[in-house]
Amino acid sequence: MKRTSNILIAAALTGGSFLAACSKDHRKPGKHYVPDMVDSRAYEFYNKTVANMKPVEGTVKRGEILPYTLRAEDTAQANLVKNPLTLNATDLEEGKRLFNIYCAVCHGSKLDGNGPLYKDGNGPYPAAPPSFIAGKLTGYSEGRIFHVATYGYNVMGSYASQLDREQRWKVAAYIKSVQNGGAAPAAAAPAADSTAAATPAAEAAPAAPAVTK
Amino acid sequence: MYCRVSILLRKQFVSVLILCVGLVFSFTPARAADPAAGKAIFQANCASCHNVQKKLTGPALKGVEDRWPDKQLLHKWIKNSAGVIASGDAYANALYKEYNGTAMPAFPTLSEADIDNILAFVDAESNKVPAAPGGGGGTTTAAKSEDSGSSSLIFGVITLILAVVAVILMQINSNLNKLAAEKEGVDHPEPVPFYKNKAYIALGIMILFMIGGYFTIQGAIGLGRTQDYMPEQPIFYSHKVHAGTNQISCLYCHSGAEKSKHAMIPSENVCMNCHKAITEYTGEDLYTAEGKKVNGTAEIQKLFDKVGWDPKAGKYVKAGEPIEWTKIHNLPDHVYFNHSQHIVAGKVQCQTCHGNIQEMDEVHQHADLSMGWCVNCHRTTKVQFVENDYYKIFEKLHKDIESGHIDSVTVEMVGGTECQKCHY
Repeated sequence: MKRTSNILIAAALTGGSFLAACSKDHRKPGKHYVPDMVDSRAYEFYNKTVANMKPVEGTVKRGEILPYTLRAEDTAQANLVKNPLTLNATDLEEGKRLFNIYCAVCHGSKLDGNGPLYKDGNGPYPAAPPSFIAGKLTGYSEGRIFHVATYGYNVMGSYASQLDREQRWKVAAYIKSVQNGGAAPAAAAPAADSTAAATPAAEAAPAAPAVTK
Repeated sequence: MYCRVSILLRKQFVSVLILCVGLVFSFTPARAADPAAGKAIFQANCASCHNVQKKLTGPALKGVEDRWPDKQLLHKWIKNSAGVIASGDAYANALYKEYNGTAMPAFPTLSEADIDNILAFVDAESNKVPAAPGGGGGTTTAAKSEDSGSSSLIFGVITLILAVVAVILMQINSNLNKLAAEKEGVDHPEPVPFYKNKAYIALGIMILFMIGGYFTIQGAIGLGRTQDYMPEQPIFYSHKVHAGTNQISCLYCHSGAEKSKHAMIPSENVCMNCHKAITEYTGEDLYTAEGKKVNGTAEIQKLFDKVGWDPKAGKYVKAGEPIEWTKIHNLPDHVYFNHSQHIVAGKVQCQTCHGNIQEMDEVHQHADLSMGWCVNCHRTTKVQFVENDYYKIFEKLHKDIESGHIDSVTVEMVGGTECQKCHY
């Protein structure tokens, strides 16, 4: 009889400990069984030595359009820069999609400068984002819009880390097409002219540092 | 003589009258300065760079009329700031220098009345008390988890009551049997107490074995899976406020999700796109999962400390350092997963795997990210097969669709459950 009661006690204790294990602490990730193959040693972007590192200056990705060499203050030259891409309707549609993700939150999906962050001054953003369809910005060239997206302007920050050069040109072309009443983008440059963006800068400011933007 | 005097008087009267009328007219615009009209003009022309309470590209406009030596000069400045700087005015030049030579554009189209309206609006706005951060009584969401718990509690209580009733009935039955046996004079052996009864002991052990087994297996399956993991992050960043209330697209910050394997935690410059200007939190009250109230403005200040931004001066004052966010979703190293493949080719919504992030103040891991979970989705999800160059090589499947043999193609049919699709 003593043996059975011992078994009973042991069983009760085991059961109780399992039940106690149920209450999970969500602030802890829990246990791992042989985690050797779980945690990556080369922990890619969380690695302290590579976190937030920029590519080597002047790096050009395969198939990417050439770096934009104008500096932030070269606004006059930026006005003259032409879109190096040949864009079709699909690209404009892509430009619209990108605009709605990255720009519309302030500038509004109607391009009227009234996005959800501003909401007629009731949103959290204290500055009124300018409208693309009225006022000063209607006079901006495609190159200038690209320039502002690259470097930012006043309180607006740079979008070069979120949108690559090709995407920024698509967004600029979309904005221009809306300003022109949905017309096709201005006569697309031939494909061989893909270095056009870099040329004016090279002429005007030969010592300009090649910033990978 | 009389005549001359009267003419003189009349002349004077006329000139006084003209003067009076002139005076009335000259005062009219000042008196009629309309803050409401000023608001519209302000928002169209000034608000991109100026805020009444806050320094942005240009200075905060609160008390602007007191700062300028005279009103005429302020009007002139608004119409053509470059002209005032060129005239050598000391205050104008100091201001120009303070803002690193950022010139205010000229507004020649604004009339004097327009400027008065703007200033009236600025004046009215200055007297408003800025909304207290985190104002308004909000209720905690702590009661939420109790809802699902209460029904199982009721079931448990009912089960317990029924079990007690069953035991009592069994006891009554055995007592009655005993009484009946005594009456008939049948000799009955001394009853064994229940804790020494082998049948009861065996039953108890069986039940404990099953319960223990269930929890052992559940625990073993959960090893290495971090479902519901909700770590405390270095900054209380609320996805509910950003993606929910303010409708910022997921891709705005996690722009890598379309382009690469990783969705990526945004670098701090992305935070600063908005937080250069947004320096305080004025929305609904925020609470941690433990129910502790969070000061949103202090959390934004933590970001500024990390990036080295001085919100008062409006510039970076020291070198930034990365914020060490705690990673929540982690696939083992031996699993290949690519965000861009799922989002661009597969057109999967973020919420399918990550849950309703836009409603989470603190993010937790929604799915268990187990292999069974992956495979189930690959078995049932249909790919966009026709008019997609990516799947051109699957000729047999294309023929089957044309002949009407199948009507759609799942991920599994294009190799989505092959081992080496994810393990290599």
